[in-house]
Amino acid sequence: MAVTETPPETVETASAAAPSAPHPQPGGLAAVLGSGDHKVIGRLYIVAALLLGLPVLGLGLAFGVEGFEPETLDVFSSDVAYQLFTLLRVGTLFLLAFPLIIGVAMVVVPLQVGSRSIAFPRAAAASFWGWFLGSILLIASYAINGGPGGGSANGVNLWIAAMGLIVASVLLAAVCLATTVLALRTDGLSLERTPLFAWSVAIASIMWVFTLPVLGGMLVLMYVDHRHGGALALGGSAGIYPALAWIFRNPQIYVLAVPVLGFAADVFATASGSRQRMRGLVQGAIGVFGAVSFGAFLAIPSTDALDSLLVVVLGIAAVVPVLVVAGGALDAVRGSGGLKAGPGVAYAAAGILMLLVGTLAGAIGSIPGVLEVPEGSSASSNIFFLGITHAVVVAAVIAALGGITWWASKVGRGPAASSVGLVAPLLLLVGGIVMTVPDFVSGIVGDGVETQGDYAGGIAAANVVVAIGVAIVALGLLVAAVSLLPLLRRPDDEVPADPWGGQTLEWLAPSPPPVGNFEGELAVVASAEPLYDLREEK
Amino acid sequence: MSDAAALALPPAAPPARPRVLLVGTALAAVATLMAFAGVIGLYLAERASVLSQGGTWLPEGTSIPLTPGGIAMATMLLSAVTMWWAVDAVGRNDRPAAYLALALTMMFGLAVINAISFLYTQMELPVASVPGVFIYTITGGFIATLVAAMAYAAVMTFRTLGGEYHGRDREGLVAAALFWYANIAVFAVIWYAIFVTK
Repeated sequence: MAVTETPPETVETASAAAPSAPHPQPGGLAAVLGSGDHKVIGRLYIVAALLLGLPVLGLGLAFGVEGFEPETLDVFSSDVAYQLFTLLRVGTLFLLAFPLIIGVAMVVVPLQVGSRSIAFPRAAAASFWGWFLGSILLIASYAINGGPGGGSANGVNLWIAAMGLIVASVLLAAVCLATTVLALRTDGLSLERTPLFAWSVAIASIMWVFTLPVLGGMLVLMYVDHRHGGALALGGSAGIYPALAWIFRNPQIYVLAVPVLGFAADVFATASGSRQRMRGLVQGAIGVFGAVSFGAFLAIPSTDALDSLLVVVLGIAAVVPVLVVAGGALDAVRGSGGLKAGPGVAYAAAGILMLLVGTLAGAIGSIPGVLEVPEGSSASSNIFFLGITHAVVVAAVIAALGGITWWASKVGRGPAASSVGLVAPLLLLVGGIVMTVPDFVSGIVGDGVETQGDYAGGIAAANVVVAIGVAIVALGLLVAAVSLLPLLRRPDDEVPADPWGGQTLEWLAPSPPPVGNFEGELAVVASAEPLYDLREEK
Repeated sequence: MSDAAALALPPAAPPARPRVLLVGTALAAVATLMAFAGVIGLYLAERASVLSQGGTWLPEGTSIPLTPGGIAMATMLLSAVTMWWAVDAVGRNDRPAAYLALALTMMFGLAVINAISFLYTQMELPVASVPGVFIYTITGGFIATLVAAMAYAAVMTFRTLGGEYHGRDREGLVAAALFWYANIAVFAVIWYAIFVTK
């Protein structure tokens, strides 16, 4: 091609005039596997997260059973207990909670902001397939005696590489989601008018972009180290997990739960049938919660003094936004004619209560001197922090399942089963509290995290209670999964586009939404509740 | 429609509001900066810990000469100018100048990779050592992101050549430039933390 002074600006015009052959639309499996449609990608994330994540929770249950009689009940041999413990913790976060949240967000966020697609659809699809491949490789690495504490060098290398792939994929999804909210909003939908769930996903995604690369960088460092003799302590097989444990600690773990606040605020505002009076405050609170969840500084081990000060400030500060969002929800209910109760509302209430438990515990645990720390161990090894992690992860899972239920007609083919759906959030909330409170109690008396099968010490009764809590959570997940089964079959009647009298643009899309999401052009948005505006015009 | 009408410039379209590529690139640049911030932070913490215990950081026989790193830093700074020139030239629809500027930027990128590779041969640092793991990971990671930035800039160059970007819409090139500048920022920190203060 010759270089000329004139830019070929007419290329588009000229090519537009040329008739193009119609592209055959793929169908069946090809339409799923090769799709860049955000709804298909979101559904893939949700289904895969449930398939991969639920067995991981079964592992948690087995650990709970072992806790009844650690020295006599040998559910796990001491050889593999530590590896499986790390699988449990990594799995609940990266195989269940993160992909569930991402899946719901992938489906809902473009609809909420009035976009016809997600930003970078091929990258979004790549994020799913990368995460899925990484998850399979992660599980495979354990199968060949890899993972933290593993005996196979290749297995450990595979674990690090798989984690790297998972983190990169989550980051890719975060970039797609944040860009969708920041750059693909429909006309008139300014940032302050952005639906609160989409807003919370944008905040969460930006925080993932700010913090997860630190984890990614550490994984590269570990891989190089482990491949070349493990000179660094963090690259040794047993040193891997402690070096990465900061991602499970508060405030970092809160990055997972930012969408819980947006989901709860959205659902309560819609179910109360009124405009959110405290909207600005709630939106600001979600932003603040995202900001205080920045915990990447915990990755640097030698900043103890800074850690302490920051952890205290961030730990206490994290409670305030949760209380503000809860207050906003109560205000919405009080200012309305009545609350349309349903599974969505139950999930929203359960999610925010569970998050409140986690952040309150985080605030208490962050105060110096509250927790007894065994000599020679760090404060982070106290089991109190495991309880906080579990509370936050359960809150995120509740919100994600609630999102699938609330937006069921957009995520699936029809509404979720409402009667069964009401029981699931209750079970998850009760199970979550029963599972975490004993850890808080044990932590206050100085118990550490039990990473071995045949551990001694600790409060035996607390282990039994924790096991019961895990069982209730597992039951809750099972009930939730059953309540979501109707999403898979096409209902006999036409599914209404807006079953809840919604406020935001996703309820304008047909159920299920077609490719391109909306039929016809969207009007210019004039408020944060465009569907209310439409009803008032009529 | 006559040929003349088909070749006439269409009326200026209103600038597309969604700067999708730019926003996405900005987020990717933040991710890149944070990844290096984390690893370099660990490097500094580990080095400070070793030195505070009276140890020596670099193994015996290892030295990191300042010259190749300094030249690489100067080259990166020069590439900032040529990248800015490319964006400016596209804005003025000065295509030959844009191509020249982008070609120079690519060349500077290759020169930096060459300088770091040369440094590897000079410093005789075993990878199976704590400083070795850090330094090879950080500088190797930088080379990888620099290659990505070069590929990104090259793609945007070809797109500009194909007419996708021009004076009224140079989002792709601006995005590539943004990522390039993030790389320069990263290298500036590497240069000071590793090559200067060792």
